[in-house]
Amino acid sequence: MLQQACWTGSYDLFKQYETAVIGEDRETNLRSLIDIVYPEDGGIPIEEVQSVEEIVKHFRTGAMSYGSLSPEAHETLAVAMNHLGGRSNTGEGGQPEERSAPNADGIWRGHAIKQVASGRFGVTSHYLVDAKELQIKIAQGAKPGEGGHLPGAKVYPWVAETRNSTPGVGLISPPPHHDIYSIEDLAQLIYDLKNANNQADISVKLVSEAGVGTIAAGVAKAGAEVILISGAVGGTGAAPRSSIYNAGLPWEVGLAETHQTLIQNGLRNKVRLETDGKLMTGRDVAIACMMGAEGFGFGTGPLVSMGCVMMRVCNLDTCPVGVTTQNPELRKNFKGKPEYVENFMKFMAQDLREIMAKLGMHSIEELCGRSEFLKTKRNIGKENPRANTLRLAALCYDDAPRDQLHFKEGNSYDFHLNKTLDARVLIPKFAESLKTGAKKEISVKVGNTDRTFGTMLGSEVTRRFGNTLDDNTMVIHARGHGGQSFGAFLPKGVTLELEGDSNDHLGKGLSGGRIVVFPDRKSKLSAEDNIIIGNVALYGATGGKVFVNGVAGERFCVRNSGATAVVEGVGNHGCEYMTGGVAVILGEAGKNFAAGMSGGVAYVLDMSNDLYLNLNRELVYLETVTESEDIQLLKQLIREHVEATGSVKGQRILEDFMNYVSRFRKIIPKEYKEMLELTDRIMGHGVDEEAARIQAFYSRRKEKRA
Amino acid sequence: MGKPTGFMEYDRKQDRALAPRERIKNFNEFHIPLPEAERREQAARCKDCGVPFCQAGIMIAGMASGCPLNNLVPEWNDYLYRGNYKQALSRLKKTNNFPEFTSRVCPALCEEACTGHLHGDHTAVSNKENERAIIEYGYEKGYLGPNPPSMRTGKKVAVVGSGPSGLATADQLNHRGHEVTVFERENRPGGVLMYGMPNMKLEKSVVLRKTGIMEQEGVKFVTGAEVGKNLSAEQLLNEYDAVVLACGAAKARDISVPGRDAIGVDFAVNYLKANTKHVLDESVKIPPELNAKGKNVLIIGGGDTGNDCLGTAIRQGCKTAIQFEMMPCPPAERAASNPWPQWPRVLKVDYGQEEAIALYGKDPRIYQTTVKEFYKDEKGKLTGVKAVQLESKKDEKTGRMYMAEIPGSEYDYKCELVLIAAGFLGAENFVADAFGLPLAPRGNLATETPNSHNTVNPKVFAAGDCRRGQSLVVWAIREGRETARAVDLYLMGYSNLPGYGDPT
Repeated sequence: MLQQACWTGSYDLFKQYETAVIGEDRETNLRSLIDIVYPEDGGIPIEEVQSVEEIVKHFRTGAMSYGSLSPEAHETLAVAMNHLGGRSNTGEGGQPEERSAPNADGIWRGHAIKQVASGRFGVTSHYLVDAKELQIKIAQGAKPGEGGHLPGAKVYPWVAETRNSTPGVGLISPPPHHDIYSIEDLAQLIYDLKNANNQADISVKLVSEAGVGTIAAGVAKAGAEVILISGAVGGTGAAPRSSIYNAGLPWEVGLAETHQTLIQNGLRNKVRLETDGKLMTGRDVAIACMMGAEGFGFGTGPLVSMGCVMMRVCNLDTCPVGVTTQNPELRKNFKGKPEYVENFMKFMAQDLREIMAKLGMHSIEELCGRSEFLKTKRNIGKENPRANTLRLAALCYDDAPRDQLHFKEGNSYDFHLNKTLDARVLIPKFAESLKTGAKKEISVKVGNTDRTFGTMLGSEVTRRFGNTLDDNTMVIHARGHGGQSFGAFLPKGVTLELEGDSNDHLGKGLSGGRIVVFPDRKSKLSAEDNIIIGNVALYGATGGKVFVNGVAGERFCVRNSGATAVVEGVGNHGCEYMTGGVAVILGEAGKNFAAGMSGGVAYVLDMSNDLYLNLNRELVYLETVTESEDIQLLKQLIREHVEATGSVKGQRILEDFMNYVSRFRKIIPKEYKEMLELTDRIMGHGVDEEAARIQAFYSRRKEKRA
Repeated sequence: MGKPTGFMEYDRKQDRALAPRERIKNFNEFHIPLPEAERREQAARCKDCGVPFCQAGIMIAGMASGCPLNNLVPEWNDYLYRGNYKQALSRLKKTNNFPEFTSRVCPALCEEACTGHLHGDHTAVSNKENERAIIEYGYEKGYLGPNPPSMRTGKKVAVVGSGPSGLATADQLNHRGHEVTVFERENRPGGVLMYGMPNMKLEKSVVLRKTGIMEQEGVKFVTGAEVGKNLSAEQLLNEYDAVVLACGAAKARDISVPGRDAIGVDFAVNYLKANTKHVLDESVKIPPELNAKGKNVLIIGGGDTGNDCLGTAIRQGCKTAIQFEMMPCPPAERAASNPWPQWPRVLKVDYGQEEAIALYGKDPRIYQTTVKEFYKDEKGKLTGVKAVQLESKKDEKTGRMYMAEIPGSEYDYKCELVLIAAGFLGAENFVADAFGLPLAPRGNLATETPNSHNTVNPKVFAAGDCRRGQSLVVWAIREGRETARAVDLYLMGYSNLPGYGDPT
């Protein structure tokens, strides 16, 4: 019924659908146990309520990734929401670059909200700059504690390209963000993203859970402009059944808790609060609004309006309506149009308007947090008497002053970005280069309070040049102690050279830039034996080169998908979840090396023969370096390393290279290797590379299914 | 689900039907089942949808979509694909007492609601034939022998009428342990299954195979027993603890126009019954006025029964045969106002029409036409009809659409046999009278609420078409199952027989 309403644009039919939904819902969720109490004066004429066009600006679509959705469906959502002035969400699978700018026909097919999730798939400087809002996904409502999972059968070559991964190999987003182990780390990531795109709002997606209010308060203090509370019944298409049934809480609980906690801490005015999780009617939206939300996310509704028939095969690549499949044949069946999604949004808004009129509310802002209109139903649940025992008053608690109930413009957290070295020194000094792309070198002193150094400059470079500058166009010789996130998201053309040492998160999300680190020239310590950069370096890097004359901390190169790095030793969990790029480690690797690694290559100098013990062998092969291609590459990278850093150890290896080669081990993921070989074989028949990749993907998948 | 990609790998394939000219030579069923391996591939085409519309049985826009019995279609398709026939059978029989009937005569609501049908390219899973394969494998492999209940309750139930709802009631109650006697006025049990549908649609051996097994399981069948004639209501009420009336909606809609008494004008049911009696026992002759051989036949009504008459007349060797249908010809494809998963209001060409097309070169159906007068000769024999064309009009007062005659559009059509297949008007009055039961406005037996099976007499229950009005076999079976539960509740105070949610 909903589908038909959206296709034909019939609001009457939508109302019939709504009656059916509300009827069915009798006692199935918390909001159905709550009544809206309308004032006796009958409210205000509907003409006085905000228009549909204004209301839809508060609407979002759920985060559904490119990869999980077909390109058509992913695009349709974006076009619809951009047209309405709402915001659509990329999900965590990146977005093909050609969709970032409006086409010749003036239609913008990109998503306004870019999600940054634990997998960091396709999170490049360009991706970040291209957003109006950056959303950090901490968890998903339907499956808190789990990461996303795109099954191998859906990782078609075009999806893999956007995600910098291997076609046919399943992609698992790790449950945690590897750069977030505390609220301070989250604050750092918020700060990083703000630097990476100072024009975007930063949003944090949390799930409805006990204690979420406290977390949200921390997030608000950390500077997020938007907090999304995701409910348990969202995102159910491909979530594991065990999670659908057993995990998560309804949004009502989390939203109310968050709203109230923020008010108590005087933070509610500083952030916008959003919620999602099966908002299916205007009534749902109205209740969410009165419980404190001012932004609303929809997943199922837009999907159904695009043709979804709830097959629940989103994970199998067999979606018969072309919504959640990459199969070109099935995608032909896609019948969705942006208008349908727009109709859905407009219907919801109109429905909400009608409720607002009856309540005498003029705008979402006015309605937000007005839980005095909500009352627990009494004498319900004849079939389910336990429904009567619920005390929902706590969800509708309300004794705050009216002006404390919603976000106030101009009240957002101040990041003091104008005081950063980037704003004070780098950008002014490179002003000329930023205009013309001229080469320039400068020197600066840095301290460990200069967090996220070089990132804002990088974002300016990306805005102007994309990834087109030559390497070393802007070279910064820095000296001292690098702060956290040194060189995060650095694009091509920018080189950071650091003499000294650096804190955690060096080169996070590196997007083509170069980072060189070597010890202070006066230091008497032996570089190859001492840690010089902190933990989680190169997390989620997508390109670029890094040379480190010294040992890196733990979780080096986690989720690297394209960067090349040379380092002289790493701590535990090196190269975890890596999907691309090259890591050369001229020294020891810690425990659990290469866990979950599904792409890319690592070369490790294994002088003490303990790599085998430290390696997580689940997905990877351990091989000796014998192929001439490998030897060439290795030698080349070590030579560059020595040139960039003056590494003593590197020099020693080069001098006796043939002996050292036999002590190197190559770590390569099994499926990645097979895929590469298969592609090579097909290319041997004279097929060009792209076609070969597609052929290889199909033949691998067939083997697996058989 | 057996095979997630099955629907992409295999095309829909159906049992091969004998060519029309071949099959009209006799009254046998004419489908040749697919080989087992291919049949299992067809089952692999099922997608095990997250929301299986096939088994939903919900009302959309006033029409049922999906199986009213809630048959567990995706489950047994999966077992069939895996070759686990026994399990498939057990899941099939769980919701459906008579798959051998429904798999032959059901219009397959499940297939129309199948997600495979979504794009209108007729690629639904062939559930109906899969169902038939499962049940027939079951018989072949001997899984379906008599399975009488291990305990008896000592309660006696009379079921009046042995059509699908009566049989379903009896089967359910018998397995529950009650002692059931089924009364049938005809000479063989089965009701509409026996004499309402011709043999080529549902071979009578299939009906008798099932009633035979039911007999071995303890159900008593008394044929030739008609309420009000040799069977009195008092007798039933005295001798039995409960009485279920499942006597169908046998009151046929008549065409009350001049000349209706002409010899050679009769109701479709009488015609079909006479023919089937002859097919089953050649010594029973068809009355000459009901034999189509060498005649021009006109069938009034374009529905299923009309089609059955058409197929029968062709097999009897008629000269020509046409059908009049009052309503306009439905579209070939779904109208925009009639999207999936609604029941499709589209033109269907059934077996009888196929045969007529093969023989006479065109579709026998003439739309928006009815009969205004029957002509007869001096002996009272039918010689032809005066036909008139109709158009759809809106009643000024009620706003309802109705079909009105187009003035001056009358024409004569020459025919010697007219069969009236214009639907049914509810239960025959004499049963209700005998039991002193009121009728509902539409001529059906009245029950306590529109969805209950209890009549004003607590001992008497109503099941099937006599309560619901004419409908499908699947609805009849569901009625029977619901009624059995109501009877069981009445007799025992509790029931472990399956019920349905809010009946629609």
